[in-house]
Amino acid sequence: MSRHYEVMIILDPTLDERTVTPTLETYLNVIRNSGGSVENVEIWGRRRLSYEILKHTEGIYAVLDLNATPEAVKEMDRQLSLQEIVLRTKVLRREPARATAKV
Amino acid sequence: MREKKPFKRKRNPLLAAKVSEVDWKDVELLRKFISDRGKIRARRVTGLTPQQQKQVAVAIKNAREMALLPYPTSHRV
Repeated sequence: MSRHYEVMIILDPTLDERTVTPTLETYLNVIRNSGGSVENVEIWGRRRLSYEILKHTEGIYAVLDLNATPEAVKEMDRQLSLQEIVLRTKVLRREPARATAKV
Repeated sequence: MREKKPFKRKRNPLLAAKVSEVDWKDVELLRKFISDRGKIRARRVTGLTPQQQKQVAVAIKNAREMALLPYPTSHRV
């Protein structure tokens, strides 16, 4: 069964922001190959962290909206967390009944 | 002798005006519900309903995990 997920990723700030989308793309293929769909990719860009993560004071934020199976999302999250350029990830399930898609 | 009631004033929940569902990514909104030390404000301060307070609290905790909001600190922020 396919569900709607919201994934937030914090990437290493030393990364060039132009390379963010191509980098994420390789992981999004995990979703696509499993029959899921990527609805939206939002790059927030560089942002100050409220506290240090692995000695970094900044991070590049990205928010993904997905429709995928739990297994596919779990696998993507696992692959992401193995990467050293990924400081942190968060996966939340959120049903599409959401009107407040601002920020 | 109890002619005037100085307390028990109605506060407007602030949320009712704009959002129906609290988004944990809306940092600007959530900042209004934490003190300058980073603590979540009590319901008697925020004037929210129990349900809204819960939503806000969960949203703040999610935002904290992603370093969008600070954790409470004893020293100055």
